[in-house]
Amino acid sequence: MDKVLYISTAGANLAMKAQQVHANNLANVSTPGFRRDFVSSLSVEMVGDGHDTRVMPKTRGLGSRFASGAMDTTGRALDVAIVGSGWFAVQGGDGNEAYTRAGQLKVDEEGNLLTAGGLPVMGDGGPLQLPDRQSVAIGADGTVSIVPAEGGNPVEVGQLKLVNPDIKDIAKDRDGLFRTIAGEALEADPEVRLRSGFLEGSNVNALEEMVSFLSLSRQFEAQMKLMKTAGDMASAGDRLIRDQ
Amino acid sequence: MNPALWVSKTGLAAQEKQMSIISNNLANVNTVGFKRDRANFEDLFYHIERQPGALADQDNELPAGLQLGTGVKMTGTQKVFTPGSYETTKQALDLAIIGNGFFQFTQPDGTLAFSRNGQFHLDGDGQIVNASGLPLEPGIIVPAETTGISISEDGIVMATIQGQAESEEIGQINIANFVNPAGLVAQGGNMYLQSAASGDPIEGAAGQGGLGVLKQYTLETSNVSSVEELVNMISAQRAYEMNSKVIAAADEMMQFVNQTL
Repeated sequence: MDKVLYISTAGANLAMKAQQVHANNLANVSTPGFRRDFVSSLSVEMVGDGHDTRVMPKTRGLGSRFASGAMDTTGRALDVAIVGSGWFAVQGGDGNEAYTRAGQLKVDEEGNLLTAGGLPVMGDGGPLQLPDRQSVAIGADGTVSIVPAEGGNPVEVGQLKLVNPDIKDIAKDRDGLFRTIAGEALEADPEVRLRSGFLEGSNVNALEEMVSFLSLSRQFEAQMKLMKTAGDMASAGDRLIRDQ
Repeated sequence: MNPALWVSKTGLAAQEKQMSIISNNLANVNTVGFKRDRANFEDLFYHIERQPGALADQDNELPAGLQLGTGVKMTGTQKVFTPGSYETTKQALDLAIIGNGFFQFTQPDGTLAFSRNGQFHLDGDGQIVNASGLPLEPGIIVPAETTGISISEDGIVMATIQGQAESEEIGQINIANFVNPAGLVAQGGNMYLQSAASGDPIEGAAGQGGLGVLKQYTLETSNVSSVEELVNMISAQRAYEMNSKVIAAADEMMQFVNQTL
């Protein structure tokens, strides 16, 4: 069989996989704190008998873009956005620490500070719990203060754990949260600043995603055309042999 | 099939729900005491084909894995309890809560319902009720000969009765608050019901224990900002369009495969 078929199959597969990534980015165009993913490919030369014509594409892996999303004012005290780089630490479903940029926080009936998805938000010493209160405020350095239920002056009740790892050391996990590649929890970074009453949007650039998607569609079509051509050539050869 | 089809489908579904939330907010832009809803989006799970940090060979680790996302989901809606704006009226029975708290009403089955809507009326017996006729809890009866009602910031209701020089205290309006108001169940009719997530109501006199104060001749309008909702609407609409465009493109690819090969 003509080896061109296998090369174009690999190309078409790669285009489809990359499209899923772009489709997922576009689907999350309004997910707060979402970090868009990208896929890159690598050419792998096949060595062996014959001419060295076969260079297969291979997905090199995927990463996330860490640029900040657009900030949106909400005026809600429990909406917090990180200015510049940095992450909120939360307790993932597996009990280990995970990191997110989504700052839509909420408090449940027991006073636990949770993310919108219901994961406990980490403070300086474990998940944060707020005592009975009239109101909550979050300061620029993550200090959480409350006005107690009986009134009076605001009291500090804890501090959000904010971290700022090298982006090379963290990666998106199955649940969409970021975790360290090494699997260890990070140290809090006192330099991270946040702003309450704001929410960071997704960093997906819809236009860019659409263009990538369309360009991948065309690449996919080109691969199909190649398969068709390979098929046509093979049948032309068959015809020649038959006719003799 | 092309996985992008299913991924974009989740995007369409989420934006469609977002649209219905926005339209409900806009429909209630003039509803007294209405609190707007907000959608919470989250990315769905990732399909990990290759773990970051996995070994590429004996000496080298892969710098990045290969995770393929599977779309978006709406994790829920959230009532946003920011205050609405306050509007002064000429009705003595228009009350607004400045700060935290809810008015309490007795439902026909005896349980309590809660509302920020302070447009009160009198029923045939002189009882203070809301627009749908539910009596305020604790109930207050206004005597028939009353010529004027004044309600203090802490909820004491005084009636000026014809023929009496001094006004008479006829009751006290208590308000209730919750540990987690966002956990209340919106029931329609401007009413909320308590749930396991909201906790039990903490009742008290207005102005005490963190409860807001009452303001007579005032109504709290809806906290929906029509400009904000319209902007949200445009962005939801565009996101919907883009997701549907992806479905169309993915479909064309499959069509091309079927026709070419």
